[in-house]
Amino acid sequence: MANDKVISLRIKRQDGPKTAPYWEEFHIPYKPNMNVVSVLMEVRKNPVNLQGKAVNPVVWECNCLEEVCGACTMLINGVPRQSCAALIDKIYEQTGFGKQITLAPLTKFPIIRDLMVDRQRMFENLKRVKAWVNVDGSWAINRGPRFADREQRWAYAISRCMTCGCCQEACPNVSNKSKFIGPSHIAQVRLFNTHPIGEMQKEERLNALMLEGGIQECGNAQNCRQVCPKEIPLTKHIAAMNKETIKYAFRRWRYKDSSGQ
Amino acid sequence: MNEKSNFLIRRIHSLLAIIPVGLFLCVHLCLNSASLLGGEDGYTWYLNVIKFMKSAPLVWAAELIIIAIPILVHMIYGLWIVYVAKNNVLNYRYGNNWAFYLQRITALVATAFLVVHVILQRFLEHEPGAVLESLALTLQNPLYFILYAIGFLAVAWHFTNGLFTFLISWGVTVGDHSQKVCRVISLGLFVVFACWGIAILSVIGGFIPGFGFENI
Ligand code: HEM
Ligand code: SF4
Ligand code: SF4
Ligand code: FES
Repeated sequence: MANDKVISLRIKRQDGPKTAPYWEEFHIPYKPNMNVVSVLMEVRKNPVNLQGKAVNPVVWECNCLEEVCGACTMLINGVPRQSCAALIDKIYEQTGFGKQITLAPLTKFPIIRDLMVDRQRMFENLKRVKAWVNVDGSWAINRGPRFADREQRWAYAISRCMTCGCCQEACPNVSNKSKFIGPSHIAQVRLFNTHPIGEMQKEERLNALMLEGGIQECGNAQNCRQVCPKEIPLTKHIAAMNKETIKYAFRRWRYKDSSGQ
Repeated sequence: MNEKSNFLIRRIHSLLAIIPVGLFLCVHLCLNSASLLGGEDGYTWYLNVIKFMKSAPLVWAAELIIIAIPILVHMIYGLWIVYVAKNNVLNYRYGNNWAFYLQRITALVATAFLVVHVILQRFLEHEPGAVLESLALTLQNPLYFILYAIGFLAVAWHFTNGLFTFLISWGVTVGDHSQKVCRVISLGLFVVFACWGIAILSVIGGFIPGFGFENI
């Protein structure tokens, strides 16, 4: 090898969902402009650990490679972020060149293998809060009304959420002790309740947001806001939905009768 | 709609913390400030306030409905909330995450403090002079003074930081700006409460002479 500079990796591995985790170190020849995904690809090409032993290649997920799918999210030096967007040179700018980089799977999701976790829970919860616009009905909605410009701006920012799980990872109230659906989903309800057609199912979403594991589980630690790679102001959307759910709770009670509405 | 949810209890927990528990805390501090009144007569003023409060009609009903039940509800459900959180301040060292963590630590300290405080000041002594005397004698001991001060500071943090989170939980402060302003106000209030409470404790413990407590 012409180049003797190496990238030193320490990876938290786990052979299966139920087996014990262990740490393994790898050295990869340094090249400029690498990111964590390309480093992991090098590991896959030549899966030999620091002790020189041939091991199973490290498993991880990735898809879009441009920070829009969220599949490659993992803990990089303890911080949840997308490995495709984690540039090695940028990391070294902060830690110093050649400093060992640790990679670990997200801790709030079941581990499938190595760095690959099962994020299904987030998708189930998106269904629970009906985070979509209903267009299939018994009558034609046609194009429907348009978003007002002033709402469109902040709503667009929420629509960039890729269900990556960073905010869920950082939230102290998302844990196996609670069923909290997490910050991202509260923002999604705000998005679809603001959408001119989505608004027609507003109550259903508010209702879902107040069920077990709903918005009430937030305790305002505000970590979610800090770690979101899409810089969605989650705390603002949570506070706004706090108000909406309380208003809705009163309304639901005042209108309640045998007709159910 | 009929599905089980903790939404209501969580909001009741939050509301009770302000009305009546937080309001009671403020009234309680105001009444205890009688000890700071009238120079040498601080002791006499304070004694009279205790006598008055003890003799008010239906005071036991007020204690039960305005104080005991709300605090117990807030405390018991609060302990559950403390249990549920998976604190991570070492990985996410943001100011608000520390505040969140402290809110839980102070909840535990406040629980211990309130149990001791209520037993000593409400259940062990009943006659106003004796209540005051036992409190003053306890606070004269520097160790107990410090423990008492820590207990009070925990309550003060818990209440003032709680005001900040309450405003978010009820959707009053929504954007970054109002939340930041209220964060500063809540920190300022903490300092005010801290100085206020420690002043009362110091006077009753005789550490600040001239209010008629040092001769107990
Ligand atoms: C002097 C008595 C107390 C006062 C004045 C008080 C006040 C408050 C206030 C104002 C809040 C904020 C509510 C919100 O964010 O919506 C709060 C939250 C909280 N309190 Fe208390 N509290 C007291 C005692 C206790 C005790 C003894 C516990 C025992 C465990 C406790 C546990 C909690 C917890 C866990 C929270 C956080 C709730 C959340 O973030 O959702 N509090 N308290
Ligand atoms: S603000 Fe709420 S949702 Fe966001 S990290 Fe804190 S507790 Fe979790
Ligand atoms: S809100 Fe941000 S951090 Fe949370 S899942 Fe969406 S993109 Fe990821
Ligand atoms: S691969 Fe899609 S976000 Fe990284």
